[in-house]
Formats: sequence, C-alpha cells, structure tokens
Amino acid sequence: MQMESTELIWLDEQHEVSMTELIELSGFTQEELLHLLEIGALSANNSTKTDFVPSELRFSSHCLISIRTLSRLKSDFELEQNALGLMLVFLERIRLLELQVQGLENAK
Amino acid sequence: MKFKDYYEVLGVARNATIDEIKKAYRKLAHQYHPDVSKDPAGEAKFKEVGEAYATLKDAEKRAAYDELGRHPAGEEFKPPPNWAGNQGGQEYSFDEADFADLFAGFTKGRQNSQQQGRNRPIPGQDYELATNITLEDAYAGITVDLNFIVPEHDQQGQIKRVPHNIKARIPKGVTNGQKMLLRGKGGKGFHGGPDGNLYLNISFSPHKLFRVVDHDLFIDLPLTPWEAALGATVEVPTLAGAVHLKVPAGTNSGQKLRISKRGMPKNNLGDKTEHGDLFAVTQIVSPTTLSEKERELLQALALSSTFNPRTHFN
Repeated sequence: MQMESTELIWLDEQHEVSMTELIELSGFTQEELLHLLEIGALSANNSTKTDFVPSELRFSSHCLISIRTLSRLKSDFELEQNALGLMLVFLERIRLLELQVQGLENAK
Repeated sequence: MKFKDYYEVLGVARNATIDEIKKAYRKLAHQYHPDVSKDPAGEAKFKEVGEAYATLKDAEKRAAYDELGRHPAGEEFKPPPNWAGNQGGQEYSFDEADFADLFAGFTKGRQNSQQQGRNRPIPGQDYELATNITLEDAYAGITVDLNFIVPEHDQQGQIKRVPHNIKARIPKGVTNGQKMLLRGKGGKGFHGGPDGNLYLNISFSPHKLFRVVDHDLFIDLPLTPWEAALGATVEVPTLAGAVHLKVPAGTNSGQKLRISKRGMPKNNLGDKTEHGDLFAVTQIVSPTTLSEKERELLQALALSSTFNPRTHFN
C-alpha cells in the first residue's frame, strides 16, 4: 500500500476558489453557476461590478459545502434549474442555523 | 458476492413501468436521502435505493439485470461466465467486486465498446470521510492517518478494491465541524480523466473540561459561596497552561468571566496567529457537609445578614 501525504484546503469564508475550481469541484456548469449568481443564491467576492468577467470570479471556499449538497440533490432528485436557486438559499440558511444551534448548545 | 433484489429494494413488481420505478425511487429518496433524512441508517439505505434505481431506470442495465434471473436477496451469487461478455463486449473478473460494482463495470464495458479509440476521460469519484480529533490536537495541529478502501477501475476496466493510506496535516485553527478538501485524493480518473477529491469532515471529541464554540472555549468554574461573595483569585486551566483569574466580589452563578486570547487558535491567513477567548462560567457550589466551625460561622452570617435574593417575588 502506498502512503501519500497531502495538505488540506480549508472550506471556510477566508479562503477562495476560482470559477474554474468551483466548476470542477461542484459538478455544475459555468452557466448554471452564473444563473445562481444572477438570482442572488450564490455570491462571488468580486462580482460587485456589472461588467465582471465570469472566469475571473472568486468565491469563498465554504460555499462548496452547500453547492456540493445541491449538486447531489439535483442529481438524486432530478431537480429543475429554477428550484436550484431556492434550494441553495435554504441549504445555506439551514447550515447557518445549525451552526448557531450547535454554538448555543455548547455555550450552555 | 451477495445477490441484491433491486425490485424488492424499490418495492415494485418485476414488470413495473419506468414511471412506477421513478415514483417508488422518489418516495424512498425523500425518506432516506442523507441530505434530507435524520435517520442514521438512512445513508446506507439510500445507497441501496440509488443503486437499484440507477440500474432499473436504464433499459439496457435493467435487461442485463433481469438476465441474471431471480435469486433470494443476500444469496451468494456469481454472474454466469458469458454475462459481461454478452453485455459489454469485455470479460470481467468479479472476484474482488460486489454487486453494485457489477453494473458499474457493465456500464464501463459498454462505454468502452461504444467509444473504442476515443477513450473519453471519466473523472474519478469524490469521497467523504469523517475524522475525530481531540481539542488539544486541534489547538496544536495534528497529522492524521486516513485509511479507506475504494473501488477503482484498472486500465483493463476491471474493478479492484484499492486500500488508500493518506497522511493529512490538519493545521491549528481548525473548528469543530470544519470541512476540508484534499484535491485529487478521491477515486482515480479513467482514460486520463481527473482524479476525484476527498472531503474531510472534522469533529472534536468531547473534552472533560472545555466546550468549544467556534474559536471560543467555555469552562465551568465552581466557586464557594464565600469566594463568590467576597471575590477571590482562582487558578483556571487553559489549553496553554493554567492562569490566575480574579473573580470580582458579588459574583453570581452563570456569569461569564472572559479570559482574553486563551481560546482556540484562529486560521489566520497572515503569519500571526490570533486566538479566541476562554469564558469561565461561574457555578456557586455549597459544601454538602459542614464542620462544626463552618456551621457556626454560616449561622452567624444568616442571623446578621439582611440580604434577600427573593425580593422580586413580592
């Protein structure tokens, strides 16, 4: 058995992934990701300008957590494009609420 | 390998229509999908349901499955020698495969025969692992050994179960529930496709003294009634050694006293490591047995004190 050694990449708000990496890691196409961006379900760290170049967009790496769940749900439930944005908003809200609940329980 | 009755898994008849199969799958997916269900056994059940659906929704795979005949679920089973050859145009050895691999292999064989000469790149599969570390390890950083076995296709397209052993350095600053990514450490890509990724879910083992919230730590700080009333300086353990904490006079139970920068390290992008805070949550503890002297002193206090903590009842 070969022993490999590797460094981990953080999935958090401080570290970023590029559009190319997000496409590769999420399984979504650029068009699908731009649609999520357009309806506000996904946000890029540098998309404040209206004339942004899609390939230059950068995202907080923590968005991969919900995006990957969305990708699984899309595939397993055969979800339509219009449902994805709504679902991503809810997934992110659930993730944040679960973190808050966990925090409150631990601080008791 | 053990035979799986995919019709039984989905709860449909062997002559079910594709719509009936889809309907049954959707119902079970809502019940067991790991991103939806809270059932701890849901993930394993969904895997079985997904495997059954992936085979039965595909007309060619379903025909190949039906060709295997009817067997009781769980019965030891080996496909007939010419089964894969007939379906995919390629002979397989199934010695190291399980029943799910059988149809993955069938698909692979079919892709090979359909795309001879083109060898379309197929990306490797992503995997997710969980690892549990202590608070002390999270504070200092730790290298963990990740051992897992995954099915992989070799260059002949045969499925092998390959053990992996990866050493991964978890740096200090990790939080409970943190997810991390090991790029290219998932399943091997096929025909030049990129390797899959490995996602690591990190959780902390419960600590006997500390509770952790993000980068802050909480510790229960028991105080005697006289320490709480008069104030005191007490020793409080931290992950970087004990510190002295000044408890102000008139402290009550449940108050949080902050010990600055004695929490968990933060994952800073710069060179300097910042820390969260440690909160000592006060608990006033009365002695369960009293010496004669203690009893006399407390009785004297009770007689002379005018303090009433229940004035708001009136």
